Amino acid sequence: MHAPKRMFFLALAGILIVLIVLDRAVARSAQNSVPRSLMARARESAGAKAVALGNSLIGVGFVEPAFDAGMGLGDRDGAINFGMSGSSALEELLMLRYALRQGLRPRVVVFGFFDFQLTHPLEFDTRDLIGNRAMLYYLEPEYARTLYHLSPHDRAEFEIMRHFEIFVDRGEVWGRVELLRRKLAQQGMPPEQANSLGRAIDFGLLEYPSAPAFIAECGRAIRNPLIPSVREIALQAEAAGSEVYFVEMPMPPEHVQLFYDQPGWAGYRAHLRGMLSDLGASYIDASHWMPDQAAFADPLHLSYDGSQQFSRRLGEYLRSAAPAQPEY
Amino acid sequence: MTTFEWIKHAFDYVGGAQDEPPPGFPIQLGHWWFWAVWWGVLVLTIYYFSGQSSKFIYIDF
Repeated sequence: MHAPKRMFFLALAGILIVLIVLDRAVARSAQNSVPRSLMARARESAGAKAVALGNSLIGVGFVEPAFDAGMGLGDRDGAINFGMSGSSALEELLMLRYALRQGLRPRVVVFGFFDFQLTHPLEFDTRDLIGNRAMLYYLEPEYARTLYHLSPHDRAEFEIMRHFEIFVDRGEVWGRVELLRRKLAQQGMPPEQANSLGRAIDFGLLEYPSAPAFIAECGRAIRNPLIPSVREIALQAEAAGSEVYFVEMPMPPEHVQLFYDQPGWAGYRAHLRGMLSDLGASYIDASHWMPDQAAFADPLHLSYDGSQQFSRRLGEYLRSAAPAQPEY
Repeated sequence: MTTFEWIKHAFDYVGGAQDEPPPGFPIQLGHWWFWAVWWGVLVLTIYYFSGQSSKFIYIDF
């Protein structure tokens, strides 16, 4: 073999070794990611009598000990919170299915949501599948693919990427680089309001820009059915013997006044109630439970104290609403 | 040769603009492992910083 050719192939082999080492390093770094940690908890919490599902609103808003105190659950059968920031109903469905396969038989399943999460169709591209949503690559990927839309190009990309950790958990690495970038950008600047989830200003981007835009969306959404993942959460939890509650999460007073106090939202809420009732699930309107702005840490999420109050009240509410089941 | 000139010479050599390395340059470009490390470092750099176009609203994962 000519020397340049030999050098090329040896160098190529060296690069492959670098990539394999990187792949293993990313896998090791991601072994304690939020979805994997919650899966580990599910394996160790077979006695849990209540399960909370939802995005970051539940993730930080549902405090297990406070809920247990309100609902009268003990340490061994206390609630488990599967809420994950940036997740949709689909990731929560996968987590519920995983928990049920581990033997969990919760008496109560709570799904917390806000705005149009229950009816907004799930359309992703592979760029969206980072962070907690990366679990779509490794937790029942074939089943999950039947419940959201990917373009043919993204489907092909997905099939290749899901076999390599450097692609599956790339968000782990990118997240750290992003945090470093933010830290550097903060040098000499006034401090930004931030919490454990991210920058408070970014959460405002998840809200509708104006009341007219929100009302217009109410008009469109009132014709939409529940998305398949939401239906499956209700049906599969009920099949496992659970009472299912969809909770319209507490929102800051400004959000409530601007959006939820509009007649359009009342109509949409009635639409949701009807569809969930047809599935045998219940609807809890908790949007007005926290009328004090001090109960919120940012434009969307409850503060620590607010979360404690909400969780306890939810537990008390469900204690009176959920039928007691005999222990076997 | 000043330090700056040495560094410039080294970059010129690595980039192919000079045929001879500066005095004391430790790497021979004819070694396959140099190119493996070179491209490996570039791949790592690209990988680490290719998430720049992603919008991270939540960053607690």
